[in-house]
Amino acid sequence: MADFSSTLGRGREVAPEGSAGTPSGLGSGVANRGLRASAAGSVRGVGGRGRARVRGAHGQFWSALLTYLVLIAGAALTLAPLIFSLLTSLKTERELALSGPAALPASADLSNYATLFTDHQFIVPIAVTAQVVAVVTLGQMVASVLAAYAFAWLRFPGREALFWLYIATMMIPAVVTMIPLFSGLSALGWRNTFAGLVAPLVLGSPYAIFLLRENFRRVPAEVLDAAKLDGAGPLRTLWSIVLQMNRPILATLFLITVVSQWNNFMWPSVIAPAREWNVMTVATMGLQQQYSSNWTLVMAATTLSILPLIALFLLFNKQIVRSIGISAVR
Amino acid sequence: MPHTSNNRANRHTERTGHTRHTRERLAAAAMLAPSAIGVVAFMLAPLLAVAALSFTNWNLLTPPTWAGLANYASLASAGFGRSLLVTLAFSAIAIPLAIAAGLGIALLLKRGLPGSRLLQLFYVLPWIAAPLALGVVWQWVLAPSGLLNQATGASYPWLASEWTALPVIAFVYVWQNVGYISLFFLAALRAVPRSVLEAAALDGAGPIRTFFSITLPLIRPTMFFVSVTSLIASLQVFDLVYGLTGGHPGYPGGTTDVVTARIYSEAFVGLNIGRASAMAVVLTLLIVLVTAAQQRYFRSRLTYELEV
Repeated sequence: MADFSSTLGRGREVAPEGSAGTPSGLGSGVANRGLRASAAGSVRGVGGRGRARVRGAHGQFWSALLTYLVLIAGAALTLAPLIFSLLTSLKTERELALSGPAALPASADLSNYATLFTDHQFIVPIAVTAQVVAVVTLGQMVASVLAAYAFAWLRFPGREALFWLYIATMMIPAVVTMIPLFSGLSALGWRNTFAGLVAPLVLGSPYAIFLLRENFRRVPAEVLDAAKLDGAGPLRTLWSIVLQMNRPILATLFLITVVSQWNNFMWPSVIAPAREWNVMTVATMGLQQQYSSNWTLVMAATTLSILPLIALFLLFNKQIVRSIGISAVR
Repeated sequence: MPHTSNNRANRHTERTGHTRHTRERLAAAAMLAPSAIGVVAFMLAPLLAVAALSFTNWNLLTPPTWAGLANYASLASAGFGRSLLVTLAFSAIAIPLAIAAGLGIALLLKRGLPGSRLLQLFYVLPWIAAPLALGVVWQWVLAPSGLLNQATGASYPWLASEWTALPVIAFVYVWQNVGYISLFFLAALRAVPRSVLEAAALDGAGPIRTFFSITLPLIRPTMFFVSVTSLIASLQVFDLVYGLTGGHPGYPGGTTDVVTARIYSEAFVGLNIGRASAMAVVLTLLIVLVTAAQQRYFRSRLTYELEV
């Protein structure tokens, strides 16, 4: 299964390897076999592609144009709200009222952002969010990597049962555990504290453990055997072999964790409603509820909470697209 | 892969006997300790606690009192049934739309025309952003005097109308997630062997016929993966609804009162912990049920597809 999905991830190279590595549906399995035996070689040899070629350059031009039109219209619909909110954040309220949301701002007016930092002390939620994200991400990465390695390569009684218990916890909705967590941590006096914000999240995530284990298992057993014979312990093997061979998935997991922690709203809104412990999402919502008519200010706040993640994503884009391709078929 | 690890196991027991075994078990215990504490303390214990709390009356201030099944009995009158229906309606609108649009985008992107990579990036961007922030942005777009109404010269209250509020929220949900979903379909489509498609073309199958009788059956595992994960996620939608409704899910006329929002407000606004816990228990059971049903279907189909 693991080998199967890794070949699929590579896309086109799969074809020549034949049916052993490809998922053949019922009818197509027959088509596949028949083709490889006779047609594929000869068709490629002559350079023809059956009827597709017959339709000619004209048809291809129009279908390409249509594809572009649909794709660009979709992309415009996707980006428009984000771009308009950015533009609106750069306008004064008066300018928005006069020119409307779609017009370009006369000059990039940063007064909304200035107001956020002076009147509303947005430096606080940014600092709180950054600390929470840093601590939770580090904790989750370390705890999940260790657990995933143990599940992938160490033998101990009850391994499969324990792993499935971990997986099963992924089905528990966050809103369900939140009620007892809130009352429990409140009893400890952790309301409106940093500890309360990070505690339920910092000790690893079943999703991350699942994702990492599947990838760690693809490291060839021979390589790990060799390390063992050389006297390397589990930690050494994990650090110098398994982690080095799994950098793309680690990068992806890092990004996913940062994004989901930065965007987390429900738990912080409950455990840390006090202003000095507001994270970005809670502060944005608070501002929106307070000034729902002042859209230029509110759009500056949402832009502040969205833009850093988009920048981070652009940095990591290649890895994420690649590893989604691999995990999709599993 | 299991073979190799078995061989390895045998070789090691032969050579070093039991000490190696014990050492490996100790290492495993140490490596699992942090996450195991997390799973027990922050997942399993709260789950048991919520089940226990669902049989009590508690307002967080005075000690809880035993309530028996009263909380479960009061669910219907507390509007929980309506919340379930709203959530299911939301999923019923959002999931088919998201899957169809995601697959459509993937099919177009798969043609690999110049610039496809950039377009793909654009589609995924909303998935990165906080649903809450996007909810606020869309609230501004959809307000009676908002962007959409200004552009069209209308003044329709999209989010304040009982008829349009839920479908509009479902549309925004699709808007946010469709790019992410299309990534999965794109990966699956790229894995369809070109030779199979060429064979179909040789046999005279048009693009529509090829899609339904070849491409679709071949990407079925991905189809199920995407539908399982999307359905579970949609049953838990909260942030986006909360942002779009300005923190007042439920208006207009209760048509946007999704289950998670109901639990949230029952617990932390109404301080009715017992009843909120009963709702949480029902939601958990619902999700377990949906997952189990889909998993069964998914698994039987998956092995069927993989038989070569």
